[in-house]
Amino acid sequence: MADMKMISELLQKGRAKEVRELTQQAVDEGMEPQDILEQGLMDGMNEIGIKFKKNEVFVPEVLIAARAMHAGMGVLKPLLVEAGVKTRGTVVLGTVKGDLHDIGKNLVGMMMEGKGLTVVDLGTDVSPQRFIDEARTHNAQIIACSALLTTTMKEMEHVVRAADEAGIRGQVKIMVGGAPVTDAFCKSINADSYAPDAASAADAAMEFCMVS
Amino acid sequence: MREHMTGKERIEAVFRGRNADSIPWVPFAGVHAGKLAGYSAREVSTDADKLVESLRKVHSLYRPDGMPVMFDLQIEAELLGCDLVWSEDAPPTVSSHPLAQTQTIPSRLPGPDEGRLALELEVMARVKREFGEQTALYGLFCGPFTLASHLRGTNIFMDMVLDPDYVHSLLDYTLQVSQFMARCFSEAGMDVLAVVDPLISQISPEHFREFMHTPFSELFGYIKELGAFSSFFVCGNATMNIEPMCQTGPDSISVDENVDLAQAKRITDSYGVVIGGNIPLTTVMLFGSQQDNMKAAVQIIDSVPPGRLVISPGCDMPYDTPVEHVLAIEQAVHQTHSVREMVNTYEGSTFAFTGTLPDYEHLQRPLVEVFTLDSATCAACAYMVEVAKEAQHHMDIDVDVVEYKYTSTENIARCREMGITKLPSIYINGELAYSSIIPSRDKLIEEITEKAAAT
Repeated sequence: MADMKMISELLQKGRAKEVRELTQQAVDEGMEPQDILEQGLMDGMNEIGIKFKKNEVFVPEVLIAARAMHAGMGVLKPLLVEAGVKTRGTVVLGTVKGDLHDIGKNLVGMMMEGKGLTVVDLGTDVSPQRFIDEARTHNAQIIACSALLTTTMKEMEHVVRAADEAGIRGQVKIMVGGAPVTDAFCKSINADSYAPDAASAADAAMEFCMVS
Repeated sequence: MREHMTGKERIEAVFRGRNADSIPWVPFAGVHAGKLAGYSAREVSTDADKLVESLRKVHSLYRPDGMPVMFDLQIEAELLGCDLVWSEDAPPTVSSHPLAQTQTIPSRLPGPDEGRLALELEVMARVKREFGEQTALYGLFCGPFTLASHLRGTNIFMDMVLDPDYVHSLLDYTLQVSQFMARCFSEAGMDVLAVVDPLISQISPEHFREFMHTPFSELFGYIKELGAFSSFFVCGNATMNIEPMCQTGPDSISVDENVDLAQAKRITDSYGVVIGGNIPLTTVMLFGSQQDNMKAAVQIIDSVPPGRLVISPGCDMPYDTPVEHVLAIEQAVHQTHSVREMVNTYEGSTFAFTGTLPDYEHLQRPLVEVFTLDSATCAACAYMVEVAKEAQHHMDIDVDVVEYKYTSTENIARCREMGITKLPSIYINGELAYSSIIPSRDKLIEEITEKAAAT
């Protein structure tokens, strides 16, 4: 029997090849794809998130773990689609207009995917209108905005306003984060949630998706 | 120890582990310098005259003991082929990475007459002549790791795990670029050569030792050979890397608010390394009140044992940082005792304003009130009092000019009563006319005349 704990541990070490092989083995042995996803891959990503939050692992370790997660997902995704497994929620993610920094944003995306959320990554320099349009197109529950600069974090307020004007605040929560962003800033622009790190952002996103 | 040291002497003393007459203060006014002279971030990043004029303002208003000439980590990246995106209120950002799709190692080193490096070297020479005798000048350049990430993009993080040899080779190259920058800046007369490597906070201590220890040790050794002081700037939560950073042998380390300064200083002290930091940039300097800024500076000073300490913003100050916030921090650093009293008095709830405010509606003649932190010690405050007195002297009508220093309880109460939150400020007939920005004499005369006519 393929060992889920082993998949989780190998994923945390970023061993993509072994994760893919063990995932395939588990599938071949008849294990439910959903169970492999949750007990193996997502468990590993969750552990990485906890360690990242505690300053025990850093950016390279998270990126390499996410790569291993993708390797495993390559095996599982077609099976999950086939089985009609529904996503736990959809997040439209991007770095705000005028800002090209994407390390933090990418980490958030990886952690959210690690929770089983569908992430639509819009990249960097994303206009408020684009966040709204894409949220509508993908029927997203969450818009997540990132900014690294004190000058560009102001753009987040424009995203909130655009969402107000579009009348989608009832369906879509707006999350904000990035080095200069604080909880007080989040409240001052009337966004829904601030998270200090990628793992916390994924937790907060899950909460929103569970209640919606 | 001399009674009144110049800023440069203060920095030198502290960097040599000796006592100074005050804690040194190094405001990181990068593009923010332009705000003081009315120029955009782009203008001060591309025009030598405008930058020199702006740095003069930094020097006269903020009374720095040490100051950077530019805080722009994109200069080398631009020379090496990265595209930049420009902004009017922030330094440029790197938008393309020439090595993103190819694992090659460049070999070309830039020349001192190339691109914006030529501009920076010219400005360094000019400010060195103007105030390099009194003030320690900092030459900042992009550290080898962050420069490698500019060239390679975020792939560099994966490379550290998947292809460590490539990362070692790329860092060998970026180290050469850093050494070249250090040499140029040293020749231009910079006293402190600061290696700014924000991304260091994003890797583990194990990765630091594996990849960074050797190039950074070489770099700090090289700076020592050049006869300059060195500093290692990092941004973000670099708590875990403070000790490995010390082990590369810099003279000083500068950290931002994500690092607990007291905890970090225990480590830097044990290595004889100076620590600089870490007034919070966003919450305090950009969005706080003037009181918050005084308080933050005093708290930081009070949280650590004396010596081997420099007070600075956490990192490059945002362009729009209110001027009065920086003035307040300067006062707190250089006049810590009196500012501590100000903060305590302000926060104490037991006092109230017992005097009477002037009857602003029925004044006999125009009344100019200058509210200052203390014109004897705060440069901007002194300029404001001076311009008010000059205006008074040059006007045809009689004008009353009064200064209220924030050093007395009564005056703090008066400020509170009038709702004054920004110092220095000029009030004419009880109404705010100027805060932080010092008007010209003629402009002030005009303003007073208008107010006089209106009453």
